[in-house]
Amino acid sequence: MISENPYVPEPVKLVEVIDETPTIKTLVLAPEKPMSFRSGQFLQLTLPGVGEAPFTPSSSPLEPERIAITILKTGMLTDRLHECRPGEMLGLRGPFGKGYPVDELDGTEVLVVGGGVGLAPLRALIHVLLARLARLKRVSIKYGARGTAELLYRRQYDQWAGADKVDFTCTIDNPEPGWDGRTGVVTTLLKDLDIDRGNATAFVCGPSIMLRFTTYELMSEGLSADQIYLSMNRRMSCGMGKCGRCNIGPYYLCKDGPDMKYSLIQNYPNVF
Amino acid sequence: MAVYHVPKPGFIEWLSDLGSRSVFIPEAKPPGRERLQAGTSRTGAAWVRQLAGQEQQTPALDLPRASQSCKGFLLPAAETVAKYGRAAGQPVAVAEAEIVLVGVRACELRAFAYLDKVMLEGEFVEPLYKARRESAIVVSCDCVDCAETCHCVLVGGRPYAEEGSDVNVTPLDDAFLVEPLSDKGRELLASKSRDWAEATDEHLDRRRQLREAMVERLEKQNAEFTLGATDENPPALPEADEESWQRFAADCVECGACTNICPTCHCFYLFDHAVAADSAERVRTWDSCLLGTYHRMAGGAGMKLTPRPELRSRLANRILHKFVYSPQQYGVLGCVGCGRCIDACLGAIDIRKVVEDLKQ
Repeated sequence: MISENPYVPEPVKLVEVIDETPTIKTLVLAPEKPMSFRSGQFLQLTLPGVGEAPFTPSSSPLEPERIAITILKTGMLTDRLHECRPGEMLGLRGPFGKGYPVDELDGTEVLVVGGGVGLAPLRALIHVLLARLARLKRVSIKYGARGTAELLYRRQYDQWAGADKVDFTCTIDNPEPGWDGRTGVVTTLLKDLDIDRGNATAFVCGPSIMLRFTTYELMSEGLSADQIYLSMNRRMSCGMGKCGRCNIGPYYLCKDGPDMKYSLIQNYPNVF
Repeated sequence: MAVYHVPKPGFIEWLSDLGSRSVFIPEAKPPGRERLQAGTSRTGAAWVRQLAGQEQQTPALDLPRASQSCKGFLLPAAETVAKYGRAAGQPVAVAEAEIVLVGVRACELRAFAYLDKVMLEGEFVEPLYKARRESAIVVSCDCVDCAETCHCVLVGGRPYAEEGSDVNVTPLDDAFLVEPLSDKGRELLASKSRDWAEATDEHLDRRRQLREAMVERLEKQNAEFTLGATDENPPALPEADEESWQRFAADCVECGACTNICPTCHCFYLFDHAVAADSAERVRTWDSCLLGTYHRMAGGAGMKLTPRPELRSRLANRILHKFVYSPQQYGVLGCVGCGRCIDACLGAIDIRKVVEDLKQ
């Protein structure tokens, strides 16, 4: 929904706060007016009188009446958002950006690679992919977190992995007592990939350093820069391609992204 | 299209008749203030507002372009863009009277055209810019003098306007040649122009000569530069990580003067503040891509908090945006050659030299 003045936030009620990990919470928001979005599009979440920041919803776009936003506590605004309680009124602007090119994936293999809280926007994509599995060849989800305590959406992994044509693998950075799964950073899950290289698309979201090494690993595994979408979230302020803050070369991540095909940006400096 | 030959008092009378609007003019050098205003003749006049009821001053149209650009009239340095509370937010309307800008130069008209593309095109429209832009009356003026830093001719511009304003004037002795360039301009002139004499062929010849002489002067003062850029043919520059930018970044003190004074720089930041327990305002404020804080994001230890930690990358990004990215984004150069950034730079960085040295 685009209001006449695109700077005005639409009021939304915080209806549920889910503690995901010691550092991550999911805020579930009920907009007063329905706010439809495509997976990968982002919203500006306002804490009244404090400020706003861009987040890509982690919930399915098929449920626009309950929008979930998963937030890592990492700065002034997110510290305050973590203190919010159900019943409080927040604000939303948007949606902004292009969203994931879901329609172009029919008949292909989809590789979803997440690092840390980067799994949040990818969950919206996973929901959409699961809803249209019949049209896809396969979905492979690779996820890495620092430790078991920081594994996001842990209760949902079995459900994802249980779906036909879907596999899910996760890893934690270092061994922990009681963990018999994989250890090492997420790129270790990308060695010797069992995918149809010529017919695959990868979607990657995570911290800058993870994006960088994942991209290099995928390229060395034989994917081309055309097949890799990176979630390039930067300091987006207006969300409308006007404030100029989020450029990579001639692209504004807020309107041309936030997920960018690596081939479009690979020749510009300071991508990662 | 008619061009009128109007003695100065007749033109001033027309300006006075614009009455209820806010008329901004370049201020003439006040008599006896030459020493205080020593810089004026080089870099141009300051903008002043004509108050209603005040005697209409003669705008200093024979000086070089004003020292400040007109950007702030359309996009103020800071303004409240939204008010909101727990209930639905309210849009903010433009409060002030319609503005009339007198003495706007051709370079500035190009800057308006550029800002129009940024603010009015695409999925979203900047509502406050739109309101001001649509109601503004723009009276442009041929340059009959220029600053030493003026270089419109290096970027495909000319020091006179043939389109893009409502009315254009050319100072000619004790008169102005007044030419309406838009329907709005024709309407505004209608009540007066029926009493005005049409310019003679001789007047138009003089105008042509003045224009040619100004172009010649600008080409001469920029003779050491071979830039020759146009919207269709922008220069190729190295990308930002190359060492070559460091030479210029070494002189940059990160003050942001160039971006503030630039007529096309439009980067802004939105911030919110609470005005009462249940109401808040959102403010749009100019920002500068040169500043280290510009891209800064939230994040913990080990995170890269800004994509351009090096000053040289930020300086390069600004100049690349003007000359390389803008032509790709909007089909036009982002530099209109007004030279204000050169006047304003504390580190004496000359954008002409930067592009001249680095172009490939």
